[in-house]
Amino acid sequence: MTQYILRRLLLMVPVAFLVTVIVFTLIRLSPGDPVLVFAGEERDPEALDALRHQYGLDQPMPVQFVVWLEHAVQGDLGRSLRTRQPVLEAITERLPKTIELGGTAILISITVALVVGTAAALNRNSALDLFATGFTLAGVSLPNFYLGIILILLFALALRIFPPGGYADFASEPFDNLKRLVLPAVTLATASLAVNMRQVRSSLLDVLSQEYLRTARAKGLGERAVIVGHAMKNGLIPVVTIFGLQVGAILDGAIITETIFFWPGVGRLAVDSISGRDYPVVQAIVLMSALSFMVSTLAVDILYAWLDPRISYTRRAT
Amino acid sequence: MRSARVLSLFASLAILVGACAGGQPTGGGAASPSTAKAVPGGAVTFALEDDPIDFDPLRSRAFIDRNVHYQIYDSIVRIDSSGKIVPWLAEKWEVAPDGKTITFTLRKDVTYHDGSVFDAESVKWNIERYIKTQGSARSGELASVDTVQVVDASTVKFNLKAPFAPLLANLVDRAGMMVSRKAFETATSPDDFTRKAFKAGTGPFMLTEAVKNDHITLEKNPSWWGKDKDGSALPYLDKITIKPITDSSVRTTNVRTGDAHVANSIAPKDVAGVKTESGLVYQEKPAFGFNSLIPNRKPGFVFNEARYIRAVSMAIDRKEILDKVYFGIGVVGYGTIAPSHFAYDPSFKPFEKPDPEGAKRLVQEVGKGPLQFEVLVAAGDALLLQRAQLIQAQLLKADIKMDIVQLQFAEILKLQNDHTFKGLTDIGWSGRIDPDGNTYDHVYSGRPFNDSAYSNKDVDKFLDEQRATSDQEKRKAALRAAEKIYAVDDPARIWYRFVVAQLLTVAKFKGLEPYPDQIIRFQYGWLQK
Repeated sequence: MTQYILRRLLLMVPVAFLVTVIVFTLIRLSPGDPVLVFAGEERDPEALDALRHQYGLDQPMPVQFVVWLEHAVQGDLGRSLRTRQPVLEAITERLPKTIELGGTAILISITVALVVGTAAALNRNSALDLFATGFTLAGVSLPNFYLGIILILLFALALRIFPPGGYADFASEPFDNLKRLVLPAVTLATASLAVNMRQVRSSLLDVLSQEYLRTARAKGLGERAVIVGHAMKNGLIPVVTIFGLQVGAILDGAIITETIFFWPGVGRLAVDSISGRDYPVVQAIVLMSALSFMVSTLAVDILYAWLDPRISYTRRAT
Repeated sequence: MRSARVLSLFASLAILVGACAGGQPTGGGAASPSTAKAVPGGAVTFALEDDPIDFDPLRSRAFIDRNVHYQIYDSIVRIDSSGKIVPWLAEKWEVAPDGKTITFTLRKDVTYHDGSVFDAESVKWNIERYIKTQGSARSGELASVDTVQVVDASTVKFNLKAPFAPLLANLVDRAGMMVSRKAFETATSPDDFTRKAFKAGTGPFMLTEAVKNDHITLEKNPSWWGKDKDGSALPYLDKITIKPITDSSVRTTNVRTGDAHVANSIAPKDVAGVKTESGLVYQEKPAFGFNSLIPNRKPGFVFNEARYIRAVSMAIDRKEILDKVYFGIGVVGYGTIAPSHFAYDPSFKPFEKPDPEGAKRLVQEVGKGPLQFEVLVAAGDALLLQRAQLIQAQLLKADIKMDIVQLQFAEILKLQNDHTFKGLTDIGWSGRIDPDGNTYDHVYSGRPFNDSAYSNKDVDKFLDEQRATSDQEKRKAALRAAEKIYAVDDPARIWYRFVVAQLLTVAKFKGLEPYPDQIIRFQYGWLQK
């Protein structure tokens, strides 16, 4: 097992390199000129050429790549073209905020999905089941940006329970921080919650009709032990996959939600950087996103082995 | 939002009118319209439409930055709420009869937030930094300045290469903003200074905190030189928190819930609602910015034929665009000279009524069959698409077929700058205080914003003329003569709207009024207890 994990970790290096090459090339091939975008209404050709030269954008692409890579392996991801903030600082400053928002959303999503999904599976075709299925459909169909604005109008403007977006520092204003977290976290959780709930329900339904559960009941186990100890352990394996992927995708989901609730996380940085062709920032964010995907899928694979003794990585590793 | 990003304003009206002696009392020029007595103290939150990028005026290229600059820096001169240039750091100025030197007499009671003294040396250092720094965004505005000469501690002389009427208007904005040399030189690097220009200005508020995408904190400058009309010290407020909120509905909602006290960019669709809502005050005033359809006149492209541009200009219904897309927010426009400019002529309405039949005849006259082309629209903004669709429908009445192509903003910008787009683009302009700033770079041969690749000898001649004379009437005549050519006779673009400066405040936040440059003057604002 240790060998397997080590091997997977080592494999991340070439994958990360490949991702870097692809992103580096793609963002530069996408039409648009970063200097022209941030030039705004000051388009003096001489000044713009000076900037292009200063930022090394007048160099051939392979040269730019080597320069970037050389710095990157030493931990220097460069500076944002637009704001001149060091890229590493820009990301580390925002990452905790995105993790707070994404983590809370996943927590809400998993808890509610497990509880309601299980209840719906056990009481198939009941009112609760209908509600859960209906919610699933609505949750998947409602786009984030629409739901976010509806929640703001309802809870911030009409009922005045929560503030309409923004961020407060947890260290100095913990209560305000949590109050501001609720609406964006719920918005972000809704879509994945719907998917998760459906997954929990259908996986459990699959398992519930299996013979071994009848055996378990026949040998005299209580209903609780049958469900929690037998049905859920097997039924949740596919659910773990989906959860794992969602952890890796925190960033993707946060892009829209962070913009609507002006939550100062990495998602908003990504939006600004892509539309502004801010090459160094886009490269760093995509690289980080790729790494988080790789780590979370590795975690899922390890969890598999733990959940299902039939899955063993050592055999394949020979 | 995309067009707002390209926004950025400037300079002024009354230009070089001989020796503009500083009769105006300092600061209190724009007093509160309400009769209640202003009280000091309190903190407000400002919901801004985007995140400012550069606090260093030298680097700033985005309109959005100026919302902070105007609070933390003072300029050599400023405008009042009508757009007229008024004394600011300079108490008065004198233009030599040949127009080649301007001598400024500076205030003597001004210090920077970091304690260093503001004087003539300081002006010289700032202007030279703007001119000489490589990649400076200000060098173009100051291109006419040859040398800056310190006469004595409070007198400074600008020697010009040639007379240049719009210079004073340029000194209203970033090119005239004064930065503390000490603050700049003690920063780790220019890259860091522009992100953290803490206590670097002389303005009514001091920048003390800046967290990207989150908030910016401005604190009262307790020793600012400005006074209100009763002689009390300005500013009134203790603190301003600026929050960047890009979504326009959310931004407006923040003012409606009282989480923010003020905003200066309200979506046209929300204006009717906030006007009637109790607890809110909405004000607006014509601004300098414009909207136009930009054709590519380069040989090989369809709009190389000027009559086609004119046909499109005749066929569209500007009033309908204003009413249906902008809910009436704005002013119908036909050129670059806006209602708040000294050279504006309200009777200039060349395409007042749409004339689809006339447009048809013009297309037939060209004799190359039906007119068809594409318009590039920045993706991701519903208003831009609606606008293009309405224009598309209007043109169809004249048998002109316009195809809508949605691209990313960055891509359109590149095509436009390279003059390689096939038909039309439509990217807004935030406007400049002097009509020259709205015109010269857009229609003069070979200039950076001449995106239609327009060239007309007479236009160039008139525009050079108005730059070289300080006689306001002569300038107006030359500007108007040029506008008639580039807007009507040999059109460079299809102009259709002027923008307005908006101001939405909660009712208890008083003392503010909109300025035609769309920037809020927070020093006059106060909170009713």
